[in-house]
Amino acid sequence: MPIFIVDGHQVEFKPGQTIIEASRNAGISIPHFCWHPKLSISGNCRICLVEVEKMPKLVIACSTYASEGMVVHTKSEKTIDARNAVMEFILINHPLDCPICDEAGECKLQEYAYSHGKGESRFEEIKNRKEKRVQLGPHIKFDGERCISCSRCIRFSDEIAHANQLTFRNRGDKVTVTTFPGELFDNPYTLNTVDICPVGALTNNDFRFKSRVWEMSSTDSICIGCSRGCNTEMWVRNNEILRLTPRKNDEVNSAWMCDNGRLNTFKFVNAENRIDGTYLRFNGFLKKAELSSAINFTAKKIKEFKSNEIAFIGSAYATCEDNFVLAKFAKSLGVQNIDFPKHIALGDCDDILIMEDKTPNSFGAELVGVKPINNGNSFESIITNIESGKIKALYIIDEDIASISDKYEKNLTKLDLLVVHSSNENKTTALADVVFPSSTYAEKNGTFVNFNGRIQRIKPAVTTEEMDRALDGMNMSRWDKFGTKFDRWMQGRRVDAKSSWNILSMLSLHLNGKMKYDMAEEVFADIASSIEEFKGLDYDMVGSKGINLKIKESIKVK
Amino acid sequence: MSVKKRKKDLNFFEKIYIVEIAKGMMLTLRNMFRPKFTMEYPEVKFEPPSSYRGRPVLVQEKNNVERCVACGLCSRVCPALAIEVQANETELEKERYPEKFEINMLRCIFCGFCEEVCPEEAIVMSKDYELVFSNRNDAIYGKDKLLVQVEQLSDRLDYLRKFKQ
Amino acid sequence: MSLLETVIFAVIKMLVIVVVMFLTVAYSVYFERKISAWAQNRMGPNRVGYRGLLQPFADVFKLLVKEDIVPDAAHKPLHTLAPFIALFVAFATYAVVPFGPSINLFGYDVKLVVADVNIGILYVLALTSLGVYGITFAGWSSGSKYSLMGGIRSSAQMISYEVSMGFSIAGVLLLSESLRPIEIVNAQYGWMWNAVLQPIGFITFVVSAFAETNRLPFDLPEAEPELVGGYHTEYSSFKFAAFFLAEYANMIIASCLIVTLYLGGWQIPYIDKLGLGETLTVILQVGAFIFKVVFMLFFFIWVRWSIPRFRYDQLMNIGWKVMFPLSLVNILWVAVLIMIFNL
Repeated sequence: MPIFIVDGHQVEFKPGQTIIEASRNAGISIPHFCWHPKLSISGNCRICLVEVEKMPKLVIACSTYASEGMVVHTKSEKTIDARNAVMEFILINHPLDCPICDEAGECKLQEYAYSHGKGESRFEEIKNRKEKRVQLGPHIKFDGERCISCSRCIRFSDEIAHANQLTFRNRGDKVTVTTFPGELFDNPYTLNTVDICPVGALTNNDFRFKSRVWEMSSTDSICIGCSRGCNTEMWVRNNEILRLTPRKNDEVNSAWMCDNGRLNTFKFVNAENRIDGTYLRFNGFLKKAELSSAINFTAKKIKEFKSNEIAFIGSAYATCEDNFVLAKFAKSLGVQNIDFPKHIALGDCDDILIMEDKTPNSFGAELVGVKPINNGNSFESIITNIESGKIKALYIIDEDIASISDKYEKNLTKLDLLVVHSSNENKTTALADVVFPSSTYAEKNGTFVNFNGRIQRIKPAVTTEEMDRALDGMNMSRWDKFGTKFDRWMQGRRVDAKSSWNILSMLSLHLNGKMKYDMAEEVFADIASSIEEFKGLDYDMVGSKGINLKIKESIKVK
Repeated sequence: MSVKKRKKDLNFFEKIYIVEIAKGMMLTLRNMFRPKFTMEYPEVKFEPPSSYRGRPVLVQEKNNVERCVACGLCSRVCPALAIEVQANETELEKERYPEKFEINMLRCIFCGFCEEVCPEEAIVMSKDYELVFSNRNDAIYGKDKLLVQVEQLSDRLDYLRKFKQ
Repeated sequence: MSLLETVIFAVIKMLVIVVVMFLTVAYSVYFERKISAWAQNRMGPNRVGYRGLLQPFADVFKLLVKEDIVPDAAHKPLHTLAPFIALFVAFATYAVVPFGPSINLFGYDVKLVVADVNIGILYVLALTSLGVYGITFAGWSSGSKYSLMGGIRSSAQMISYEVSMGFSIAGVLLLSESLRPIEIVNAQYGWMWNAVLQPIGFITFVVSAFAETNRLPFDLPEAEPELVGGYHTEYSSFKFAAFFLAEYANMIIASCLIVTLYLGGWQIPYIDKLGLGETLTVILQVGAFIFKVVFMLFFFIWVRWSIPRFRYDQLMNIGWKVMFPLSLVNILWVAVLIMIFNL
């Protein structure tokens, strides 16, 4: 590979790479505002100016191609002078309102003002006044004064979201970002512009002023909005999820995620209607009960039915671990009726990220054995058999069957026994005889398998009653580290819930002593030793970015 | 034990210390008749100078709006983690206001960092040193207790303008 | 006087003395707090009652209602006994202190001393040495290293200073030719106070008295910076109050002894020459005794707030190498006095 020299280091590059790209790969970072690795080159911010020997003037590193033998200085006096000048220039019209601005703490401009600015300005005139609090679209507010006109948002909506909705208006210091007349900035990916905006000009309506970024802890997670399985970061303060942001993973979601996934996949975790503790039906009413007595009751009841009168429903929202333990439990009882419902929104997809299958783990649920055994009934026929009275007991984990259709809801009332694991109250829990509180995906360890067979980890970001941030090795904010139970900022709600696999293994231990797991790792080790596709895997190998399973071609085609 | 050489050897009378002891005792005796420094507290109260760091308070402007924009810097800089701020949006020009502003006076160490870091001169150390509470919940001062009219804080604000930076 | 009358008078005198002593002890605490406050330009207790005059009662009441804590490691019987030994010894010594001459009451000749014992001074010496037991027991039985150190220091200190104290008294006894306190007082008629006749003995006795009562600068047994509270670290509530009172009772006893042995007791020089009535004379003489004792108490407190605590080695040095030889010199001096002036 050809070599050029940056700051005295020999740096290899592929022909066609720019200076900024090649240096970045070699670990030398050159400041940049408008340049983004996933977007086209615009070259308008000028902060990436570097000195190249034998070139008369400084050049911008983002659009100058590296070439053999080129000698680049990123820390020379000339470069630093130029950077200081550019910073001073950008800051001329940028308001000094970091205390108010939500971007503070993760703001590129703020960081560079510290590392590359002179700390003073010679500008004595009055700063530009521009429009503030402009509602660009349903999710985004725009502050014209803070904008440094890098055009990242415009290029993103054009190139990545394929929705040409934003543009610059006016020239010179009057330039501002706006939508085309009569249009709204409303494509399904708008909130990614908030992430890539190097300043606080674009803000997320949903997160605006909720929290300073340094007050939250962030935990790697996976979006459960569809079977793409976008890598996300979950931001938590006081045991409450405040926002999701995409995490870069070129194998899955590049650096993006859709607005639906970002806004609608975490609120049920914080919701008021979380199921807190176990519930048993007494005299027609669900009453709070001890977990152990509910397990006793369920075990006793299940024994009253023949194995072909029982059916199990797994869930594509639950993890591989939950589904695996469910399948194993069904097998230990000799039950063959086991399946999970599919949640497919036909046509609701695109060629960017969004998939038709609206669950994160349908592939995984099937792989770990949640599918009819031998001539057991599939999901549809389980429902019909309930109607005809052949199936009398139903065990559901993390699915709201009754909400799928009124017919299903009516059928469920015909059951003699309905046991439900659920995180939130819903139509199905209203009909249940036993409701076990199950943890959400934000509260447990586990794995999802996305649509093309990539297994990815989720980690707990929110604590339940039985967990402890420090002892369970969860990510902690400064508040979490130093807080005591007497501080109001540590008194966020902690739900009394357990992972479905945990409840199932307790039930199994009580019923027939076939299973005993204490940690998700143990369940996964069992999966890895008994399921062909997972052979040899453990959580460390799955890592933070996931790994592709070795899927047999026959399954893949299906 | 080796005998340490003194700078100046004492003579016999100095060595028996009788004179020195008598001098010392006369000193204490004289002090018994000097005026007392004691301030009889509940009746007589100490009026602190403007450099005094009493409990931190929030400045309330004349139109009854707090200066605070809920930036959270005081909360971040507080070495005792005494301050909790929850921001929210307001229609006012400042865009952002503290929906909740709580100082846990059991945690507060009166260091004045919050005042020093505040970009709006919105939190200042008052002259109030009378802090009494009988349970942990009362010790958490909310906006109701923290907001103080700007006129009452003019001493401190003048002081800050004179000496800050 | 019949036996019955003697007993009745003895009981009355005892009751008067005990009540007065308790009050005096309580108020000497108040006195000490006030004077220490003044020495430091403070006001001292001034809230309970007029100028804080009821403070002693508040203090005692507070101590009484506090929880009585006995450490697990303590030897419980001794731990309980120790403060009462200290208190008993302190109070019992008052029995032989004469606070006035004889007085004619209701036709009876009443001596203003509870027990006019002919070996009174020996009795005092015996009891004060017994006082060490209270402190040593307290130190040992608490089962705490601080207490133990305090107790050990205390006994070492008391034993050391008792020697010079004894020799100082020997000088007094040589002059008065009696062990009976009343006789000793009588022997100091006019200006013939022992403090005047044998100043060295006076100084050694006063210093030893400070050491014996564990007062600053000799309060090593309860040196706070090193031993927390010394021998009474592990005491609380009433037992602590007992130690506390014993310390002040000891201080008053020491003052009484100094006055009796060296400052002419109740004597006012040449008062009989003024030709006052007998009753008035006695009242004045009792007043003089009280005045002298109060002055000595003031002196105790005054010294406490002026002179810092000795180091342990300095304490032993002074005890054995200074005070002991000085008290011997004093005996020699008294002998010379007797030989030359035939006193």
